[in-house]
Amino acid sequence: MSNSILEGANATGDDTATNTAADSPAPTTVMSMQQALNRALDEVLADNPKAVIFGEDCGRLGGVFRITDGLQAKHGAQRVFDTPLAESGILGMSVGLAMAGFHPIPEVQFDGFAYPAINQIVCQIARMNYRSRGTMPMPITLRVPSFGGIRAPEHHGESLEALFAHVPGLKVVSPSNPHEAYHLLKYAATRPDPVIFMEPKSRYWQKGEVDAATHDAGGGSPTGAKVMREGRHLTLVAWGAMVSRCLQVAELAAEDGIDIEVLDLRWLKPIDAEALTASVRKTRRAVVVHEAPLTSGLGAEVAQLITQSCFDTLKAAVERVTGFDVPYPSGDLEDEYIPNIDRILFGIQRVLEYKRG
Amino acid sequence: MAEISFPLPDLGEGLIEATVLEWLVSPGEQVERNQPLVEVETTKSAVELPSPQAGKVVRIYGGPGDKINVGEPLIVFEVPDNTAGIVGTVPKEEAPKRRVRLSAVLDED
Repeated sequence: MSNSILEGANATGDDTATNTAADSPAPTTVMSMQQALNRALDEVLADNPKAVIFGEDCGRLGGVFRITDGLQAKHGAQRVFDTPLAESGILGMSVGLAMAGFHPIPEVQFDGFAYPAINQIVCQIARMNYRSRGTMPMPITLRVPSFGGIRAPEHHGESLEALFAHVPGLKVVSPSNPHEAYHLLKYAATRPDPVIFMEPKSRYWQKGEVDAATHDAGGGSPTGAKVMREGRHLTLVAWGAMVSRCLQVAELAAEDGIDIEVLDLRWLKPIDAEALTASVRKTRRAVVVHEAPLTSGLGAEVAQLITQSCFDTLKAAVERVTGFDVPYPSGDLEDEYIPNIDRILFGIQRVLEYKRG
Repeated sequence: MAEISFPLPDLGEGLIEATVLEWLVSPGEQVERNQPLVEVETTKSAVELPSPQAGKVVRIYGGPGDKINVGEPLIVFEVPDNTAGIVGTVPKEEAPKRRVRLSAVLDED
């Protein structure tokens, strides 16, 4: 069967793609994260008549990253449509639609353009349920192509997870591969709460197996973290695009005799403290990796949660390997900013070398 | 592979249509970004339209003398599935490289 409606679709809107996932659920399929997200949105639209998708270039063009490609042609311009270049309007409209019983799935085209909508996100979307004593829930799934790695100009690569996670009322999630993208987006789009869905844009083209039938084959909760690689000596905690880099690091560390566990946090609000505890109680060492700047980044929150529950068993203080405390740099300097394999290995070495007393 | 359509853009000051004078590319041809695609004439002037992107030409619309309305398809390109979005580049998949080696004496207590 077709991987997604991407294959048959084009931006003229005259495609006749009908062979989609929504029609015939398939077992494991290899697809890119773009295709996985596209398929998830296609199925959400088919399953929930109240779901609507909109944003800059989401409709006719199919999104600058092709995530909504073909959806307008299939589901109609009433449900998949373009908006003006006005993020405050996109999110403000989401509030009204949610009040009227819809499930808006807006897109902010790049994370750096979420800033003009912070007022609507923080003051309206995050609070309306609280303010209305639960009578006005905000089932809004805000898709935000996030993080760096594609050498884009300024404002097109940021790491806003700590900003969003700090706001009571919001949930924050970031998938690390096509399988996670498919399932986490489908899950997020059925929640009664606002969810900030941070898509790691540097992984959009990454292909991987998607098992549409089962999210977590080994059990586990869709709201929890996931062990992507088991290990004995140290836990690497990451999310989004940094998960695959940490998996590479774990392979290299194995050559040096160090057995590393990689924990994909998945949900950045709320954080799965139990999974952190279970992993680090076993390995007794932890390094957190994120693209965002160090200071007040989510790594501090993760380090505290680990310290609180594993203080007596930790072999060393939790290390953070992160971006630097500078504005996100232009594309040419990206490789110097985003944690690379060597910086992560250095962080691991600092933890391994630590001696008490 | 995916197809991307490029509609006739507004060539300025609210013009609603243009007449094809001469196609400078033909179906099957590989074009580069900014390569001249077609010469069209509006009520104001004759202009060459540069290609908005690289790709293989799949279809062209209209022959010499035909009018095309702004917003209607002008040309369709075929591009690889892993072509970048409109902004940025597709990261290269490279074998992981490192300079740092780990050394540790692990007490397995």
